[in-house]
Amino acid sequence: MRYLIRRLAFYLVAAWASVTLAFVIPRLMPGDPEATMFARFHGKLDPEAMAALRRTFGFSDAPLAQQYVCYLGHVVRGDLGVSVSYFPARVGDVIATGMVWTLFLAGLAVALSYALGTLLGIAAAWRRGGWLDAVGPPLFVLLGAFPFFWLAMLLLFLFGFTLGWSPVRHAYDSGVTPALSAQFLWSVATHAVLPAATIVVATVGGWMLDMRNTMMTVLGEDYVTLAHAKGLSPRRVMFRYAARNALLPSITSFGMALGFVLSGSLLTEIVFSYPGQGYLLIQAVRSLDYPLIQGLFLTITLAVLGANFLVDILYVWLDPRARTRSAS
Amino acid sequence: MLPRAVVIAWVVAAGGCAPRSQAEPGVLLVEEKEQTASFIRNFNPLLEVGDVRWPATHAMYEPLFIYNALSGDYVPWLATGSAWSDDHRRLRVDLRPGVRWSDGARFTARDVVFTFELLSRFDALDLRGVWAFVSGVTAVDDHTVEIAFSRVFLPGYYYLAQQPIVPEHVWKDVADPVTWANPHPVATGPFTEITAFETQAYQVDRNPYYWQLPERPQVRAIRFLAFPSNDQAAFALVSGEVDWAGSFVPAIDRIFAARDREHHHYWFPPVDGGVLLYANTTRAPYDDVRVRKALSMAIDRALVVKVGMYDYTRPADATGLNDAHARFRDDAAVAAGDWVQHDVTRANALLDEAGLLRGPGGVRRLRDGSRWQVAINVPTGFSDWVRATQVIARGLREVGIDARMKAHDFNAWYEQVQEGEFALALGWAEPYPTPYGYYRAMMSTATVKPVGVAAPENWHRFGLARADELLGALEQTADPATEHRLTAELQRLFVASAPAIPLFPGPLWGAYNSTRFTGFPDADDPYAPLSPNLSPQALLVLTRLVPREPPP
Repeated sequence: MRYLIRRLAFYLVAAWASVTLAFVIPRLMPGDPEATMFARFHGKLDPEAMAALRRTFGFSDAPLAQQYVCYLGHVVRGDLGVSVSYFPARVGDVIATGMVWTLFLAGLAVALSYALGTLLGIAAAWRRGGWLDAVGPPLFVLLGAFPFFWLAMLLLFLFGFTLGWSPVRHAYDSGVTPALSAQFLWSVATHAVLPAATIVVATVGGWMLDMRNTMMTVLGEDYVTLAHAKGLSPRRVMFRYAARNALLPSITSFGMALGFVLSGSLLTEIVFSYPGQGYLLIQAVRSLDYPLIQGLFLTITLAVLGANFLVDILYVWLDPRARTRSAS
Repeated sequence: MLPRAVVIAWVVAAGGCAPRSQAEPGVLLVEEKEQTASFIRNFNPLLEVGDVRWPATHAMYEPLFIYNALSGDYVPWLATGSAWSDDHRRLRVDLRPGVRWSDGARFTARDVVFTFELLSRFDALDLRGVWAFVSGVTAVDDHTVEIAFSRVFLPGYYYLAQQPIVPEHVWKDVADPVTWANPHPVATGPFTEITAFETQAYQVDRNPYYWQLPERPQVRAIRFLAFPSNDQAAFALVSGEVDWAGSFVPAIDRIFAARDREHHHYWFPPVDGGVLLYANTTRAPYDDVRVRKALSMAIDRALVVKVGMYDYTRPADATGLNDAHARFRDDAAVAAGDWVQHDVTRANALLDEAGLLRGPGGVRRLRDGSRWQVAINVPTGFSDWVRATQVIARGLREVGIDARMKAHDFNAWYEQVQEGEFALALGWAEPYPTPYGYYRAMMSTATVKPVGVAAPENWHRFGLARADELLGALEQTADPATEHRLTAELQRLFVASAPAIPLFPGPLWGAYNSTRFTGFPDADDPYAPLSPNLSPQALLVLTRLVPREPPP
């Protein structure tokens, strides 16, 4: 328990740091958000209308320290402000349109990729030098070297356009209304296959290699030899003795990977017109929409921190040593 | 963004397996320029500044008159006519009888007065600064409005005519119309009933009380899909999913029109604002008119248009006017503007004459003796402009100027041009209903801001007292003959002083697929621009379209 509380304290500090970074980074970017905002009107806007709008948007020339304190207060209250590029919608509402889809897509893809990669890694290490061990790692590492969006475009072209097997855009058919119906769920599933596959294909190699290598080391341990000698079934030795221990290092990187996948899935989303955070983030950065950039950074970092916390809990469950340490 | 060439290759290769339109018969699928991955429900027509859905200003709320950029006419819409008082200080507008709001309430002069009063009460809504020249709007009776002017300003008619009118009985209870998203619009336009609204698609059905019913509109509903990029939009157009589109499509004849010559059509009339090479006239040597003309002569515009714009437009003439203002074009000014012809010999001669002689290595020296090095600023991502700039830079190097393209992030570029912190830059010119606005932006002293202060236009910072006189006279002229004479004089002034270097007039993107609907405007029937991106001109098209019977 103490272990978890210590971790929780760490996450609180990390959350504060990310909140602060979300405030600082956009302000280091070149350009003036107001000018960009009004660029859309190509100067047609009357100066007085501009001044009035400026007040509505809450653009402020206050000292940075003052802005920062004000910002922290708003964040704590969950008020992320008014989006500039989606004016007059509130940042929270804008993010809400896509957050679920991004978490669904990235979460699904990471979980799938992790499960698949780990299983492949276990199998490859178990039959060391076998065909899977020979072909798998080089093939997947090669695929993983391609950028996400490139793979996405390739898959979209092949299965969406040329073969016509898969939908080419959106999270579900535009004719289907969202409801807990078989039709809707089926539509969501078919639309998620290609984007998720893109991420899985690009990341599965890393997991496989990781797992294979630690598994190799673990398989050389005395207790594995002992387990064999006791006459335990190979399957039991493979999963309960070797894999469980080999899993520990890769569990830790699982939490971190979620962050990378979130950023990578942004491009995938754009290729597939998936209604996630990807386009929002690019749009926000392009139009220097500080409030939206901050909001997106915040939600993404908080999601990653949350995932890591879950991983920590999982770690305690998997590794008895973590439990003992906190008890002593 | 995504490599466009790859995308085109896909589209061409994709062959016949592409998806067809999923929309029901009579439902028009429109692709407008707003690129987004998810729609936010905002139908506030008064705040185009915000993230407002297309129908609000193109299909729901209507203006008094619709200015047709192609013909230069005002089409009576919610008004049937207007008349100036003799001193041009009062404008009487007769409203169309029998118009109803989509909730069945009657549309009256009160609504017009209320709308303009709203603009007066909320500065942020007066996007065009109407109240800078209007002193009051009053209802004479239910169907007549009188607008009083604080000064004689005839170009203001355009802004009054095109103001979307909102219903008083709904909007009077809105606390803050600036931030109101107007989720359930009540309007006079042809399409007002939102029957589906989801993050990736929405549909707006016909207004049951529309004043042109039962003849128009024939279209039952309009529907929109979210396209996060130009490429996705182009896919949808090419594969026949979208009926009417307004995004840039590269090599459109090959990838779209050639696939189905009978139904796939596009029309890009060069009537939008132009693209110019701006030279900062506060800096030497660009303050010298000879230098600006020489720069212009070094540019091969035919190549610029071919390489940069897929030949979608034509090279500019020296007046810089687009084809919407063709009726104003002065032949003498065009003839005098020989500096838009590509002529390396004369460019060299002019630069020599200006004392900017070639030094070792063939590069010219500035008057302080340094090498003439210059960056041409463009925004990254404007791929057409980037290609055009590469052609321009090559031309300038041929006459001994060490010119390089410098691509900046859009925001950085925009800040530089606005604040005058550049030497050479590619930029746009606003489309205006008459050449008045264009020449005001190009050479009135009123639009010149000091370097460092953001200027919405006149980025090159050039002003002439004579131009001010002519523009002032134009503001007070209702007589077409005088207007033509003054505009011709402005053109000659522009051609003589070359404040900026016109490259080409901007085309208005518009494409359609007539498989499911007919009646789109085109070069043979130019009743309106084809582009769906023009509010309120899109109303002219929406009310003219007819579904094919029986639906395919």
